[in-house]
Amino acid sequence: MKTTLTTITRNKKGDATLTVQSVTSETLRIGRGADCKLHLSDPRISLLHAEIVTNVDHTSHIEAHGGTVSVGGEITLNAKISVGQRILLGPFEVIVLPITDDADIALSVELIDPLSDDLESVKSRINAGLASTWLSKRVFSWIAAISVLTVFLAWPVWHALEREKGLVLKTSNATLLKTTATKPLKPLLSADASWDVGPLASAHASFGSDCGACHQHPFKQVQNQACEDCHKKIGWHFALDTPQAKTVHNAVFNDTNCSDCHRDHKGANGLVRGDSKLCTDCHDNLKAKHPQTGVSDVADFSKDHPPFKVSMLLRGTGSTKKPSDSNTAASNVHIERIAQTDKTRYVESSGLKFPHNVHVDPKGVRSPAGRVQMECKNCHEADETGTRFKPTTMGAHCQSCHSLEFEPNASSRQVPHGKIADVIATVREHYALAALGSNLGSNLGPNAVTNVPAPFNAVEYQRGAKEEVTPAAPQRTLAWATSKASQINREIFEVRLCFTCHEISKTKSTADDVARWQITPIVITQHWLPKARFPHTAHATEKCSSCHDVAKSKLSNDIAIPTIENCRECHSGNVATKDKAPGTCETCHGFHTGSPKSGVPPILPGANHPTRMLKVGTAK
Amino acid sequence: MRHRTFLEFARYRYLKLAVFLAIACALAYGWWRYPLGHYGGTPLGYTLGTIGAVLILWLMWFGIQKRRYRATMNLRGWLSAHVYLGTSLIVVATMHSGFQVGWNVHTLAYVLMLIVITSGFFGVFAYLRFPRLMTENLAEDTLESVSLKIADIDREARRLALGMPDEVNSAVLNSVQGTKIGGGVLAQLRERVANCPTSQAVKVVQAFAAAVKGEDAQRQQSLYALMLRKERLVGRARADVRYKAIMDIWLYFHVPCSLALVAALTAHIIAVFFYH
Repeated sequence: MKTTLTTITRNKKGDATLTVQSVTSETLRIGRGADCKLHLSDPRISLLHAEIVTNVDHTSHIEAHGGTVSVGGEITLNAKISVGQRILLGPFEVIVLPITDDADIALSVELIDPLSDDLESVKSRINAGLASTWLSKRVFSWIAAISVLTVFLAWPVWHALEREKGLVLKTSNATLLKTTATKPLKPLLSADASWDVGPLASAHASFGSDCGACHQHPFKQVQNQACEDCHKKIGWHFALDTPQAKTVHNAVFNDTNCSDCHRDHKGANGLVRGDSKLCTDCHDNLKAKHPQTGVSDVADFSKDHPPFKVSMLLRGTGSTKKPSDSNTAASNVHIERIAQTDKTRYVESSGLKFPHNVHVDPKGVRSPAGRVQMECKNCHEADETGTRFKPTTMGAHCQSCHSLEFEPNASSRQVPHGKIADVIATVREHYALAALGSNLGSNLGPNAVTNVPAPFNAVEYQRGAKEEVTPAAPQRTLAWATSKASQINREIFEVRLCFTCHEISKTKSTADDVARWQITPIVITQHWLPKARFPHTAHATEKCSSCHDVAKSKLSNDIAIPTIENCRECHSGNVATKDKAPGTCETCHGFHTGSPKSGVPPILPGANHPTRMLKVGTAK
Repeated sequence: MRHRTFLEFARYRYLKLAVFLAIACALAYGWWRYPLGHYGGTPLGYTLGTIGAVLILWLMWFGIQKRRYRATMNLRGWLSAHVYLGTSLIVVATMHSGFQVGWNVHTLAYVLMLIVITSGFFGVFAYLRFPRLMTENLAEDTLESVSLKIADIDREARRLALGMPDEVNSAVLNSVQGTKIGGGVLAQLRERVANCPTSQAVKVVQAFAAAVKGEDAQRQQSLYALMLRKERLVGRARADVRYKAIMDIWLYFHVPCSLALVAALTAHIIAVFFYH
């Protein structure tokens, strides 16, 4: 076949140059290969890309071989071609032209999609530098900063200001404490939870994340009022009941706020300062600062702490500093703090006789049931708080051994543990009845007495003596009974029963039994160290005798309160040591000792009545 | 004279200053005792907090200073101070916190600070390591000159491949048209490129060697040499892009986190005084 080929090339302006040539071949092979008559030198063309064949009937068709052939817009493997048809072979456009000579077919060929410039091509596929990617420091920075400011600053501030305006429900912390006692607020849902610097003290945990409960005003330290909403009765360092106390208080604590010492958000137990510095800042040199103080200088429990002073309940009004204390003034007793080192005054005068050594004798103490080994707790029962002990009472602790029987023949009969007049009356009544019964021959059982004088004699009376009972006869009987009662009463008050435990004085001048004896009022110190905290439960691992040495105490005058040396055996001082329990000021002492609740009211005797006295002593 | 890095600037002037600052903070922390322990609210805590905040703002100033070429101070000096004093901030801020951490904005600021400093460490590592590697890699070349060399190879390879089987030709064409250098974030950071058209073309041309003789074989050899050269050039260009990307990527962490840190620091300071 003979083919007329018109090759079109264009310059940069697009002007075309035509080159016409004629080729003869069996078929028109098109491709990159050297043997192809239509030689298309382009890497995008296959060696043998396609082939055009002229048929017997002078029609032609194109066959695709190694490359893509598109005829009239359709990709094909084999297609008839006719004049005017547009064939795309890779980047080349071939158009079938009308035949003008003897050729079998005429084609125009043009490279319509030339290869791009190599350098530009290479460069277009280089993408270097992160700045050319989607990363952007500026955008990331803005997003990060704005997110943080929104969530951690704007939102909490907005929340706080809304609360300040009252738009968010604002509760006093006292109310909050009640309402949230069982249902703590969920901190994560709160706007200002992210500002929380640490866990609250356990007592405040129920405030949850309601910061406004305490932090009532922005940029202002927590006000005392916020604390006092709940802590209504908390007092200052000492009672402000004298002008001097007020002067000192104003001088020392005028600018002191609750939050100066009590910093919350320090964990469950972080609210109370445990260090000694809080105290020793003033107390290590207190006398120099306040010469009129009665308080000794203290620097360190382990090295520089005065001997304990016990607060003893003493007879008389003394030189009591507080005449306004109506309790003690009316009861004719007063409390005085006496140093344990003051051997002459460090003696108790309770009005009772009580030898501890007999009661705690390892061999046992005599009792109706034989010898009994007593323990401390038989008499000293822990109180409800476990801090100290319930008062020891005659009825509960003594009477099972120390029975108040006065007549051996009448073992069921006891004098009351009460007023002298009642004791005397009981004895008199007993013997009057017994004498009368004896005279009449009544069977008074174990209450019967013998040797009642005649003639009012039951035996004679029953024998049929018809004589009138003269007034003299019952008088004789009464006289006997009175005399017998007097004798027994004297024993009771001067030899046994009451005399066993009580200090009793006697007035010889009177004939009246009731006025003759006076029982010394009981004055027992129940709270020896009211200025210190000493929970007995916290020391339950120790034996009583480790601190209270009573095994050899023969007299009730002995005081068994341990000394500071005793405490120092186990407690360190300002500096904690590994082998000892803490011994900072706060271990034993509180700061708010001026609180109405601090300390314990003094134990006061009532009238000459031990039971009542003890009730007064335990008044809540 | 040996090249001195920014770390050695002025005979370690800022290292000495930073060590002094850190030791001073640690000593102060050990010396002063507070009844409630160490935390930001003690006098020492406030002092350390102020030092820390001022340091952070000053370190941030480096970012601005760096962009102003009319810097009042030697930029290398600035960088040296930035690195050393930035590191000492770990001690300052930790002593300030008193080791008290929680799920709050205060610890957020601390953690962001640690992230910024740690990413900065990576930056120091990158600045010390990669410039040398980059020099070794490209030598007297630049990415531009490598591109030119690749373009030349492409042109010659294409010409040679025209006379070769379609398989070879199209592999070479693929290499010419499809070899990418760099690209997206991951592509720039990755060392290996899967299915690199140039590497594939090298294999195809190599495999073709068995099938040719004579003049064709000579052309095949030339083409093979060209493609190998190209592969090496492409590798070097990619390494260059990668080194640059690594030297840059940490900044996309360092800078936004430092801005977030300033934001958290602001919230921290306001929060502390808001709820005094």
